[in-house]
Amino acid sequence: MDPLILSFALVNGLLIGGIYGGVALGLSLIFGVMRVVNFAHGSLLMLALYAAFWLQALAGIDPYASVVVTVPLLFAVGFLIQSVVIAPLIRRESALVVEPLSALLLTAGVYLVIDNLALMAFGPDVRSASTGLALAPLMLGPIPVNSQRLIAFSAAILAAILLSLWLRSTRLGRAIRATAQNRDAAALSGIDVPLIYAVTFGIGAALLGLFGSLLATFIPISPQVGLSFGIRSFIVVVLGGIGSIPGSIVGGLVIGVFEALASQFVPATSAAILSLGLFVLILLVRPSGLMGRA
Amino acid sequence: MTTAHPGRPRRPFVPLPDETPTLSLGAAAPRRPHGARAAGAAVLGAILLGGLAAAALPLVVQDAYFLHSCIVVLFFAYMATAWNFVCGYVGQLSIGHAMFAGVGGYATVLLFTGLGLSPWLGMPVGGLLAALLSVVVGYPTFRLRGPYFALTTIAFAEMIRIWVENTDSVLGIPLNGAAGLTVPLRGESLAALQFNGKAPYYWVIVALLVGALAATWWLERSKLGFYLKAIRGDRDAAESLGISPARYQLVALAISAFMTGIGGGFYAQFFRYVNAERLIGVDLSIDMALMSIIGGQGTVFGPLLGAVLLAPLAEITRGSLGGSLLGLHIVVYGIILMLAVLYLPKGLIAPLRAVLARAGLGGGRR
Amino acid sequence: MSAPLLEVRGISKRFGGLQAVRDLSFRLEPGEILALLGPNGAGKTTAFNMIAGYTRADSGEILFRGRNIARLRPWDICRAGIARTFQLSKPFADLTVVENLMVGGFARSRDAHAIRDRAEAIADFLGMGRQAQTEVQHLTAFDRRKLELGRALSTEPTLLLMDEVVAGATPAEGQEMVALVRRIRDRGVTILIVEHVMKVIMALSERVIVMESGRLIADGAPRDVVTQPEVLKAYFGEHYAAARA
Repeated sequence: MDPLILSFALVNGLLIGGIYGGVALGLSLIFGVMRVVNFAHGSLLMLALYAAFWLQALAGIDPYASVVVTVPLLFAVGFLIQSVVIAPLIRRESALVVEPLSALLLTAGVYLVIDNLALMAFGPDVRSASTGLALAPLMLGPIPVNSQRLIAFSAAILAAILLSLWLRSTRLGRAIRATAQNRDAAALSGIDVPLIYAVTFGIGAALLGLFGSLLATFIPISPQVGLSFGIRSFIVVVLGGIGSIPGSIVGGLVIGVFEALASQFVPATSAAILSLGLFVLILLVRPSGLMGRA
Repeated sequence: MTTAHPGRPRRPFVPLPDETPTLSLGAAAPRRPHGARAAGAAVLGAILLGGLAAAALPLVVQDAYFLHSCIVVLFFAYMATAWNFVCGYVGQLSIGHAMFAGVGGYATVLLFTGLGLSPWLGMPVGGLLAALLSVVVGYPTFRLRGPYFALTTIAFAEMIRIWVENTDSVLGIPLNGAAGLTVPLRGESLAALQFNGKAPYYWVIVALLVGALAATWWLERSKLGFYLKAIRGDRDAAESLGISPARYQLVALAISAFMTGIGGGFYAQFFRYVNAERLIGVDLSIDMALMSIIGGQGTVFGPLLGAVLLAPLAEITRGSLGGSLLGLHIVVYGIILMLAVLYLPKGLIAPLRAVLARAGLGGGRR
Repeated sequence: MSAPLLEVRGISKRFGGLQAVRDLSFRLEPGEILALLGPNGAGKTTAFNMIAGYTRADSGEILFRGRNIARLRPWDICRAGIARTFQLSKPFADLTVVENLMVGGFARSRDAHAIRDRAEAIADFLGMGRQAQTEVQHLTAFDRRKLELGRALSTEPTLLLMDEVVAGATPAEGQEMVALVRRIRDRGVTILIVEHVMKVIMALSERVIVMESGRLIADGAPRDVVTQPEVLKAYFGEHYAAARA
């Protein structure tokens, strides 16, 4: 195998992997705080992609500029999903046996509704957005680097760092971490747990708003695009350790590089099968993930 | 019967810790009339009578479209009942059951086209292959709980779907990739399970459904059923009562996969076509799970109820709205699912059972 | 002297840096009620779980009727004739009392009707005959504890391991439970209890063994053992020992 092609694949794998990690951040955060596996994670990314697309198609707003709309919009969607759909379950569960499957089923319901509403509203056509910014590929030595991917990659790393710092150093961030550790103790010390949950879900979704805008410039947009990102986010999060912010990025990088290199040696579909196989293997052998605590 | 005294005779183990000497220990004559026993027989009777009554339908109604829709609904009822056999009773969510349908469907078609084996034999053989696959998949997977189990089952099914979709032939066996396989026409032939009318297919699926419901009825009162419910209740406690969770979950999964595989074979014969997306894809898996859960998992009739309520939705929206609102029925599914999880976690059958029990029809818990 | 029903020979268990149980040995005679005492963290629960098969011993043997069960899994240990209860009741919440009591019966019989009859008899024995058809999630905490005991009996054990008998019970409930345990023993079931409440031990057991820091420090009649300074120190702390002296 040509070392140049291989290193090109490696660089691309790292870029895509970082983006996978960024997309998975919200899933990991929501699970870490609420123990809810958000099956609708990919659907929210799909919504953000469409928001960026329509903002450009109808109002001429560049996808990169649309961040100022998509981030608050997705925050609101996430906040609503938590407080309208999931909160009643958590209220019931505080009295009964905790049943994590119920939460999964609820978010699966959200997934079915959002994906198929999008199908009804936007049709099955594949669409794409483009940026007006003149972005030439950068050269890393002899290797060309796609600048749109580099932007999204950098945003993922930055978002992970800022999220970690924010959770550590702000009042609200500390309240979220306290709630994650012990819901009842947090409630006793005066934390408004339902609000914290809604805010957490909102932040998890807002991160997807960001990546919706950043990815809209280079991935095809369709109502079905969510599920594959959702499944890949599960893989990333399980690999990195559910609930771990740095684990999400590390897991993303591992999957990105794994897929990029595997597709150099086997057909792309086999690479997809292999990464699903890796996911199963990790779950079976080390369910706590690479960075997670047992 | 000796009573306790300070010297305390060191007696050998006495099985029954009871002080009333009139009570013999082994298979004693029942002291109380067994309401449960009578109710159980009534349930089995209801399954058989219901099956007979349903079988009479084509004698009354000849409309092909209507019969076709009924077959689709009963097919989903059968598949959901097969899913429920393991998942409903053991409290695990499989979103990969379609892989067993896929094995059954593909095997039925390939055995017919390749070896000329009648689907009447191909379907059970496909079922056995599905059961074999289920043991391979289930052995490592059943150690996982909750969302982890669910996600792993999706991953297994997706691996198989992607592989089949991108494989034209393996070891000389044609899979035909994403295009799928068609069943070659033989005209009206009982041996080839091919009929011009809908009624014979209808009778086959009614018979399959009656069989699946009867199997579930048996499960309810069998050792296996009690063991599954115990594992669902508390795994540690179940182990302390002599239950190896892995073993009994695998047995139940293999039976469930066998039934699902036969269902896949029926699908292939009825539509004369199989492909990976429809027969192995996530959608069929989700349908099986949702109909069970919304109807009432872990009950004999819950999945049937769920399918009868949900499956026509797709037919109705397709029929009356002419496909203009693609996906509408799934939106409705999703909303019903959320409402059921929040407000009827035991499924739509729970209030129905309460009404039946109040009306004194017995078997309130079944 | 007859052969012991259970003989624990030098079992040890280490969790990471913590030696939870070290070289523990004791014997249990048929028909006995033996209490295993010790302060929190003494290794009682680890020892208990090793006998019940929930934790695998690093070394040593556990002989039950002369057969080494140290490597068996919980379900095989149940089938060998050892039943256990859990410190926190673990009932099957969506089953009825009788159904809970039926599950264990399938380890001994295939006849579902006979098993149901026996389950009803056990419910009567527990004084829960009237709740036989009640779903367990509607029971009081104490009834769940009794059910936990009955469920263990449904497997027809020779040896019953009880992880705390009266935890969280009122004095009246505690007495009822003590009486139940006695009646079970009088039916020929040998019993090993891990318990904190001293009064219960005095009322129930002829012999107690005391663990501290993973080791056995005393073995004898309850009255003799609880006056040993070493036990007082370990179990009740320095102050109590000094005050009694």
